[in-house]
Amino acid sequence: MWQAFWALLGAAATVAACYATGALVVDRVKAPLARTERFPLSFVLGASVLHLIMFALLALKIAYRPVVVGTLVVPIAWAIWKGSWKLKGESFEPLSQPLKSFYSTIFTAFTIVYFFHAWAPESSPDGAGYHLGLVARYLRVHGFEKVITNMYASLSAGVEMLYFPAFAIGKHSSAALVHYAFLVALAMAMFAYGRRIGKPWVGAAGALLVYVSPVVGIDGSIAYNDCGVAAIAFSVFYFLEIWDEVREPLLLIPIGFLAGYCYAAKYTAFVMAIYAVGFVAWRSRRMRATLAVSACAAVMIVPWVAKDWIYAQNPVAPFFNKIFRNPYGRVRTEQEYNDYLTRMGVENKWTLPLEVTVRGEKTGGLIGPIFLLAPVALLALRFREGRRLLLAGLLILTPYLANVGTRFLIPCLPFFALALAMAVSWPPALAAILLFHAVASWPSVIPRYASKYSWRLDRILYKQAIRKIPQDRYLRQNFGGYGIARMIDETVPKGVPVLAVNGLPEAYSTHEILVGFQSAYNDDLADILNAGWDESRQPTRRIIFKFPSTPVRRIRVLQTGVGVPLEEFKAHEVRFFSNGVELPRDPAWRLQAWPNPWDVRMAFDNSPATRWRSWETARPGMYIDADFGKYESVDEVRLDTSFDYANLRLQVEAMNPDRKWAKIAADPETQIIPAPVSIRRWASRELHARGIDYIVMQDTDWGAEDMREDPESWGFQEIAKGYGARIYKVVAP
Amino acid sequence: MSSCQNMPEPYAPPVQRQPFEEGRPHRMMRIVNMSDGDWMAHAVQDIPPSEPSPWKWAGQKPTVKVVARTNQGLRFTIDFSIAQATLKDTGPVTMTFLVNDHTLDSIRYTASGDYHYEKAVPPEWVEPLKDTLLAASIDKMWVAPADGAKLGFILTRIGLTQ
Repeated sequence: MWQAFWALLGAAATVAACYATGALVVDRVKAPLARTERFPLSFVLGASVLHLIMFALLALKIAYRPVVVGTLVVPIAWAIWKGSWKLKGESFEPLSQPLKSFYSTIFTAFTIVYFFHAWAPESSPDGAGYHLGLVARYLRVHGFEKVITNMYASLSAGVEMLYFPAFAIGKHSSAALVHYAFLVALAMAMFAYGRRIGKPWVGAAGALLVYVSPVVGIDGSIAYNDCGVAAIAFSVFYFLEIWDEVREPLLLIPIGFLAGYCYAAKYTAFVMAIYAVGFVAWRSRRMRATLAVSACAAVMIVPWVAKDWIYAQNPVAPFFNKIFRNPYGRVRTEQEYNDYLTRMGVENKWTLPLEVTVRGEKTGGLIGPIFLLAPVALLALRFREGRRLLLAGLLILTPYLANVGTRFLIPCLPFFALALAMAVSWPPALAAILLFHAVASWPSVIPRYASKYSWRLDRILYKQAIRKIPQDRYLRQNFGGYGIARMIDETVPKGVPVLAVNGLPEAYSTHEILVGFQSAYNDDLADILNAGWDESRQPTRRIIFKFPSTPVRRIRVLQTGVGVPLEEFKAHEVRFFSNGVELPRDPAWRLQAWPNPWDVRMAFDNSPATRWRSWETARPGMYIDADFGKYESVDEVRLDTSFDYANLRLQVEAMNPDRKWAKIAADPETQIIPAPVSIRRWASRELHARGIDYIVMQDTDWGAEDMREDPESWGFQEIAKGYGARIYKVVAP
Repeated sequence: MSSCQNMPEPYAPPVQRQPFEEGRPHRMMRIVNMSDGDWMAHAVQDIPPSEPSPWKWAGQKPTVKVVARTNQGLRFTIDFSIAQATLKDTGPVTMTFLVNDHTLDSIRYTASGDYHYEKAVPPEWVEPLKDTLLAASIDKMWVAPADGAKLGFILTRIGLTQ
C-alpha cells in the first residue's frame, strides 16, 4: 500500500512543480491565458524549465534525493507566495449542458482505465527498460555518466528528466503517472483551444478523438514519452496562436522554450522548432523576434547536443554515425535499426493506414478506425485555424515514415483530430463520431476487430494500482522480464555487469545489463559470444596471398569489391610470413583500419573468437593496414576469416618509398580450416577479459540451446534458472 | 565532412592470446525439459500446451522434435514417471521409445515410480541439421472416471545426448 502512496506523491509533487514553474513564467511574460488554459499550458511550459533544471543537477552530479525533492518544493512555494499558483484568467463562454455532459462522461470513463493503469506497477518493455532504466542508473550515481553500453542513453530525454524526480520519490509508477499528466494536459489544452477559437464542440471532439484513441491510452499510461511530446508540440502551436493574437514580445520566450523542448523530448519533434521559428518570422517579419525564439529554443537544445558531443563524440547520437564517426555507435547497427523502424514488417506501405487504424499488430497499437476519416480533415482548409493545424500536423508527421510504429503518430494526432473535428463542425455529427470512437476504443471492444496481438489496454488494474495485489507478485506473474531482472539481482554480485542477448527491464535491476545490439561495445561482446557457437562466425576460411619476397615497411589488405547490403569486410586474424615463418607481432608495429579503426587490434590478437569488422556494407577502399616501423621481407599474407560474406575482392598492397600504394598480390587462394576445438572457451575468455563474467540467456535466445546443453565446454557454470532464462558465470576463462 | 572524422592514432598490436593447452569437443545435448521456456517450440504432439513446469502429463505418444548437428555417438534419453493412481487401474504398461519412428526399445513397467532410460541411437536414424522426432509411447491410457480425460504418463525431459 505504501508503494501506491509514494507513487502518487512522487507524481503529484512533480506535476505540481511543473505547473508552479510554468505559472511563474506565464505571469512573468504576461501571457494572457484564460482560466481553462492556465493549468495545461503552464504545466507543459513549466516542464520545459524544470527539465533543464534536472539536467543541470545531473550534469553537476548533485542529483541526490534531498536536492531533487528540494528542487520540486521551491517553485511550488514560490508560486504560492507570488500568487501564481491560483487558477486565474478570463473565462471563456460557458459551455452548453449537452457538451458538458457528453465530454465529461466519455472523459471520465477512459480516465478511470488510464489512471489505474498508470498507477499500477510499470510493466512496459521500453518503460521498464531504458526510459526508467537510465533514470534509475542516474539516480544511483547522482548524475549523468558516460554510458558506452546503451545507445538509448544518447537520445534526448526531456520528458524522462521529469520522470527523474518522480522516480526518486515514488519509483516506476510515479514516472508513468507523470506521463499520464502530460496526456491529461494535452486533452485539456485541446479542449481549451476549441473554446478560444469559439468552437467548443471542435475542441471537445478533437480532445476526445486523441484521448480515447487506443494507442494513446496505453502509451500515455506507461513510462514512454510520446504523449509528452504531443503535449509539448501542441503547446508550441497554442502559444504561437496566442502570440499571433496579442503580439506580446515576451511571449516569444515560452514559445522558444517549448520549441526547443520538442527537440529535448524527442529528436523527431525538432520540426516543431522549425515551425515556431518559421511562423514567427512569417508573421512578424522581424529578425529580432525570430532570433529571440531561436535563442530560447537553443537554451533547451544545446545541453543535449553538448552532452552527446562530449560523451558519444556525436552530437546527434545514436544517429548519423557515418558522418560523425565514433567508437560507440556502429553504422551497420544504426542501419539495421533504421531499416527495422522504417518497415516493422509492413512491406506494402499502402496497408499502413489499415494497420495503424484497425489492426495494430505489426506497428504496435492502433489509433482507432475513426482515423480512416482523416482525409476529411482537408475540409478544414476553409478555416484559417484549420490551415494552420494541418500545416503543423503535416510537418510533425514528416519524420513518421522513418519510424512507422503507431505510437509515432501520436505527436501529430492533436492537429489532425482538431482539423477533422473542424471539418465536420456540426455538433450532432461530432457526437456520433465520438460515440463510435469511444465504443470502438473501449478495451473490451478492441479485440472484436483488431488483431489479437495489438498493443492495447485490456482491463482496469485497480487492485494492482492500490497494491492490493502486491507489486512483486503481479510483476512476477505478468511481466516475464521482471522475474529475470530480480533473479539477476539475487544471484549476481552487486555492481557487476551482465551480458544479455535481448532487452530486459533494467529499471528493476541494479545491475548494468549489456544488451547485444545497444552499442558498439555490446556489438563486440555479442559477436564474441556468437563466435562460440555459430559456425558461420568462426574463422574457418583462410585467404592466402603469395607473392615474390618483397621488402616492405607498410602493407595493407585492400578491399575493392562492392558488398550487397549489410555484407561486411571481416578479419579474425591477419598474419604476415616470410619463407613460411610468421613475422612475430612487434610492439613497434602500427595498425590501422578503415572503417572502424578502433577495433583493428582484434585482427592481431591471436584470438579466433574476436575479429575486426567493417560494421558497414563493404565498398572499395576499406583496408587493414600494418606499418612494421622498419623494412621486413614478406612473401605471404594470410587472412583468417569466416564464410559469411562472398562478394568481396581483396588484394595486398605495399607502400612505396614515395608513399604511394602498389599492388603486390591479388587472386588469393582460399582454404577451409577447422575452427579450434575450444572455440567456446576462447569466447568466454574474451568476455572475461572485457569484464564480463555473467551472461543471462533466455531459452529462446540465439545460442541458448548450445550453452544449455554443455555449459562446461564454454567454461560456464549455470548459477540460476527460472522465468524461461538461465544465468551463467564464467568459471574457467 | 572530414572535420567530423574522428580517427584514432594507429595502434600497437595487443597482448597475444595463448592457445588452450587442452580442450574437449562440445558435447551435443538436445534435451527438452518441460521446465524450459521454449519447450513448446519443440513439442509435436500429446503434450498439452502450458507454461513451463518441472513435469507435465503426457498423452499416449508424446513427441518432440530437436535438431542434432551430428548423428555420431547420440543417445536417446528420457526421464518420466508412472503414477500409482493410474497404474492401479491400467495394470502394468509397456513403454516404447522411438527415434524418427524407428523403435529403439520396448520396456514393460509393473511398478509406479520415477524412471530414467537411455540408449545409443544408430547413426543412420538421424539426419544431421534436420528435425529428429523423439517419442515415448505408452500402450494403455488411464481414463478419468469423472470426465473421461485420458492420461498417459508424466514427462520430465526427453532428448538426445552425445
